[in-house]
Amino acid sequence: MEAATASSISLPQHGGGLLGIAAIAPTPGAHAVSGLYVHVPFCRHKCHYCDFYSFVDRDGRQEAYVAALERDIEASRAWLTEPLSTIFVGGGTPTLLEPLLLQRAMEAIGSLPRAADAEWTVEANPETVDAARADALVRSGVTRVSIGAQSFHPRHLETLERHHDPASVGRAAQFLRAAGIEDINLDLIFGIPGSSLEDWSADLEQVLGLSPTHVSCYNLTFEPNTPLEAKLRQGRIVKMDEELELGMLELARSILEGAGYTHYEISNWSKPGHECRHNLLYWLMGSWWGLGPSATAQVGRRRWKVVPRLGDWLAGPALGGAVDLEVPDEDTWVGEAFMMGLRLIDGMPRDRAESLLKMGLQGERRRRVIEQACARGHMAFDERGLRFSMRGLPLANEVIRELLAGKD
Amino acid sequence: MPIRNFSIIAHIDHGKSTLADRLLQETNAVSLREAKAQFLDSMDLERERGITIKASAVTVTWPYKGEDYELNFIDTPGHVDFAYEVSRALSACEGAILVVDSTQGIQAQTVANAYLAIGNGLTIIPVINKIDLPSADADGVAMEVEQVLGMPAEECVYVSAKTGQGIRELLNAVCEKLPGPPPPTTTKLRALIFDAKYDDYRGVVIYIRIFDGSLRLGDKIRMMGTGRTFPVTEVNRYTPFIQRIKALGTAQVGSICASIKTLADVRVGDTITLDNDPADEPLPGYEEPKQMVFCDFYPSSADATGGSGKKGDFEAMREAIEKLRINDASFTYEVQHSEALGFGFRCGFLGLLHMDIIQERLEREGSVEVVQTAPTVSYRILKTDGEEVEIHNPADLPDPGIISEIREPIVKVEVICPDECIGDLMKLCDARRGIFKGQRFLSKGRQILDYELPLAEIIYDFYDKLKSITRGYGTMDYELVEFRANRLAKVNILVNGDPVEALSTICHRDMAEQRSRVILQKLKEQIDRHQFEIPLQASVGGKVIARETIKSLRKNVIAKCYGGDISRKRKLLEKQKEGKKRMKQVGSVSIPQSAFLAILDQGD
Ligand SMILES: Nc1nc2c(ncn2[C@@H]2O[C@H](COP(=O)(O)OP(=O)(O)O)[C@@H](O)[C@H]2O)c(=O)[nH]1
Ligand code: SF4
Ligand SMILES: [Mg+2]
Repeated sequence: MEAATASSISLPQHGGGLLGIAAIAPTPGAHAVSGLYVHVPFCRHKCHYCDFYSFVDRDGRQEAYVAALERDIEASRAWLTEPLSTIFVGGGTPTLLEPLLLQRAMEAIGSLPRAADAEWTVEANPETVDAARADALVRSGVTRVSIGAQSFHPRHLETLERHHDPASVGRAAQFLRAAGIEDINLDLIFGIPGSSLEDWSADLEQVLGLSPTHVSCYNLTFEPNTPLEAKLRQGRIVKMDEELELGMLELARSILEGAGYTHYEISNWSKPGHECRHNLLYWLMGSWWGLGPSATAQVGRRRWKVVPRLGDWLAGPALGGAVDLEVPDEDTWVGEAFMMGLRLIDGMPRDRAESLLKMGLQGERRRRVIEQACARGHMAFDERGLRFSMRGLPLANEVIRELLAGKD
Repeated sequence: MPIRNFSIIAHIDHGKSTLADRLLQETNAVSLREAKAQFLDSMDLERERGITIKASAVTVTWPYKGEDYELNFIDTPGHVDFAYEVSRALSACEGAILVVDSTQGIQAQTVANAYLAIGNGLTIIPVINKIDLPSADADGVAMEVEQVLGMPAEECVYVSAKTGQGIRELLNAVCEKLPGPPPPTTTKLRALIFDAKYDDYRGVVIYIRIFDGSLRLGDKIRMMGTGRTFPVTEVNRYTPFIQRIKALGTAQVGSICASIKTLADVRVGDTITLDNDPADEPLPGYEEPKQMVFCDFYPSSADATGGSGKKGDFEAMREAIEKLRINDASFTYEVQHSEALGFGFRCGFLGLLHMDIIQERLEREGSVEVVQTAPTVSYRILKTDGEEVEIHNPADLPDPGIISEIREPIVKVEVICPDECIGDLMKLCDARRGIFKGQRFLSKGRQILDYELPLAEIIYDFYDKLKSITRGYGTMDYELVEFRANRLAKVNILVNGDPVEALSTICHRDMAEQRSRVILQKLKEQIDRHQFEIPLQASVGGKVIARETIKSLRKNVIAKCYGGDISRKRKLLEKQKEGKKRMKQVGSVSIPQSAFLAILDQGD
C-alpha cells in the first residue's frame, strides 16, 4: 500500500490496510458527485502493453462480479442522490460480460439517478460487440461506446499482442449504429515499433472511413512490469524514433482536423459538441464515484481507489475496501489542477489560472515557471487563458512537473 | 619478561588478518568461539571491503624455552594509500612478519612493505602462507623471496593461517629470531604515537609504543610536536579484549585516553613525554601525511545561485565532514565555492581508495548525498615573478600569462605481472606519458616492470586497465619521486556558454584536443536533453579546441490519461522531478553527478 505523499494528509488505515469506503468518503451530500466510473476487470486476452487492472477470468466469476456491483451500487445511493451527468464503464473489457450479465450490470447502473442528457460511455473490444450486446447497451440507456481499435495493421496488433481482426472494428460500429448508438469513439495507438508514417496515415484513413464522433490517439508507452517493456529492455523490440513519433502526432492533427475533428486534449479529437464529458470531469478536477476493483474516486478533495483485487472486492462487505486514500493539501491540489487542466488544448480560462496561482504557498514560483515557459514559446498566457503552444504540448511534462508542489 | 614487538605485513588478501586471528588463538588470547573471523578489523566498512583501515595493537604471551615472552603485535593496513600509517606502525616495532601467499607469490605491495620494513631497520621473518591449498607452490615462492628481497629461501616459515599448520613454529621463530627492544637511552618518558582512533564513548584513543621511561594513569603528558598537554585518564592494553592497567613500562605497547575530543589534536608520529619531567628530544621520523589526490564534495541538493534551501545541506555536510575528521586526520578539507556547484569542500586524500572510503563514509554515516568531482593531483606553479605556489584544483590555476612553469607529481611505479603482459603494459604506460626505467626477473613467468609516470595519469583508470590487461594477475605500487615541469595546460569546459570549473582539468598540451573530445562526448551522453539546445565547448587559453551539441528535447508527455488516476500521474512526474533535484544546476542546465566523474574515463 502506498503512503500518502509528504505534502498530503493521509488518514489512518486500520487492520489489514483496507478502509471501508463509507468511513472515508465525505458525508453524503457534502459534495455533489456528478460522475461515475465503473471498472470491469475481465479481458479475453492480456495485451502486452497493458497495465490496467484486467485479466483473463478462468474461474467463471462474471456473475459474482455483477452481484457485487449491484451490492455496491445499493450501498452507494446515499452519495449519488444528485442526477449523474456522466457515467463511464471501462476496464478491462465490459462487453466481455455475457449479454444477460451485461444487461443486469447496466440495469443496476441505470437505476441510479441520472440527468436526462447524461453521457454514458461503455468501453468495448471490437470482437465482443454483437447485436445482442449492442441492444443490451442501448436498452439500458448507454449513449456512447468507445472501441479499442488501436491499429488496423495485423502486424502492429501482433506487436501489441492484441488479438482482433481489424475488420471487426467496422462490424462493431455497424452493430452499434444499428442499435441506435451515435456517439462512437475509436482508440488508436501510434508509435508502435516497426510502424511508419504510411501505416499510420492508413490507420487514420480507416478511422475516417468509419466516421466516429470522437477519436483518441495515444502514443504507445512502455509501462513498467508489462511484457512489452520487458521486450524493450531485452532489446527484442526497438523504441520508435522520437522525431517519427512527433511526425505521427502532427499527421494525426492535420488529417483529423482536415476531416472536421477538433483537437481538444493532448490525445483526443472530436466532432464539435462530442467531447467526452466524463473525461472533462477528470481534467477539471470534479467529483466522481468509483465502483469495481481498482476504480478511482474523487469526492471533494478526497481521493481513493477501490481495492484492486477481485477476490477481496467480491468478498465484501459492500463498499468494503479502499486503498491509496489521499487528501491532497492545497499546494498539491493546485499542482494537480494544472497537471490535469493544461492537458486541454484550450488550457484553462485566465481567471481560473489566476485563482489557482493565488492558492497555496507556491504561487510566485509557479508564476515564474509559467513566465519561463512563455518566454520559450512553449506556453501562452493571455486574455484567452493559459495553455500550451503546439510546440510546447509535446513537452508538457517538462513544464507541468515544475508546476507541481515542490518540496523546496 | 622478554618483549617482542612486531608487525604483520603483506600484500592485500595474502592472509595477514587471518594469521593475526590464528596467532591470538594459538596463544589462547581468544577461544575458538571468540575468534570471529578477522578480529582485528573492527569497522563495518573494513569488513565489507576486506581491507584494514586502522592499525590495532594486541598483547599476548607465549612460552619459549622455559620463559614467557610478551608479544605485542600490530595489524597494519595493506593498501598503498596507507603507506604512511604502515610506516608509523613499523617504527613501533623491531621486527615484522612478511606474509606471502604461496598461491600468488610476491606482489607489488609485498615488495613495497618489505622495503618499508627494511628501511625502518626491522628484522623480517618471511612467512609462506596458505600451504593447505592444492595450488600452493611454497618452495617456488620462497625462491621468489630470495630472488627479490634477498632473504635466504630456507629461512621462510611455511604456514597455513587457515588450518593452523606451522603457527607454533612461527611463534617460536618470533621469540628466537626477532630482536628484543633496544635499551632505553634516557630515563625520561618517550612514547611514539603510532596510531589514534576516535571512540564515541572515550574520545580519542592513542596507541603508543614506549621507548624510554614509563607512563602511569594520572600522569600529565605533553605532545612534543604540538606542545599540548593532557591528563591521562585511562591506560589500556588489548589481549585482544580491552584491559585497564595502571602503567606501561619501557618497550611496551598499549593505548591511552586523555580527554582528547578530536583526532586533529593528535599527530600520529608525535612523541609523548611527561609534562613535569620532559625528555630533551622527540623520537625521530615524524612526517605529516601527504595528500596526493584531491576532489570536491558538494551536497547534491544545494543550488548554485544561493537560495535559502542550500545553507542547511551545506551545514549538514560540514558537520559530517568534521565528524569524520575526528576519526581520520589524514584527509584535509577546506570550504570551496564554485559558480556552478555552490558551496562545498575541497578535500585531499592519501590516494584514490582513501577518497572512495571517505565519500562512502560521508554518505553512510553523515546521511548527506554527495556530488563528487573528478579527482586531480596537486600542481606546483612557478610564476614569472619567481614565486612558487601549490594548487590542488585546476580552477586555482593562475592566469596563463604569469605562469612560467607547471610542475606535476611524478611517481615511481612498480608493476609485477606475468611475462606475456609486458608488451601491452608497456604500451599502456607509454600512452600515459610513462618513462621506462627497467625490467627485472622475478620468477619463472613473472617480471617486475619499473616506470616513471605522472600521478595524474594513474588516477585516470590506470589501475583498472592494468587489471584488465593482466587478467587480474598484475599488481602495482607507487611512490612519489618529484614534481617535474611539463607542457601542461588547463582545459576549460563550457556548458551552454558557462564555464564549469569543476569540470576543468589540467592535461598535457599534446593530449588536450583528444582528451577534450572524449570529455565532451561523455558529457553529451551524461546530460539529459533539455527544452533548448545546449552547446558544449572545451577551450585552452580562450581558444575553443572541441565542441559538441546536445540537441533540444522534443517530447516528454504522458499520452494516456486514464480513469482519473490523478495521484499516480502526479507521482510519476514527482519521481522525474526528484531525479532532477539530485542534479546540479548550471545556469538552466541540470548536470548529473555522473557527468563530473565521466571525465575520468579516457575512453580508450
Ligand atoms: N586456504 C587458505 N585461505 C587463507 C589462508 N589465510 C588466509 N586465507 C584466506 O585468504 C583471504 C584473505 O585473507 P585476509 O586475512 O583477509 O588477508 P589480508 O587482506 O592480508 O588481511 C581470506 O578469504 C582468507 O580466508 C590460508 O592459510 N589458507
Ligand atoms: S483489452 Fe484493454 S484492458 Fe484488456 S488487456 Fe487489452 S488493453 Fe488491457
Ligand atoms: Mg585484512
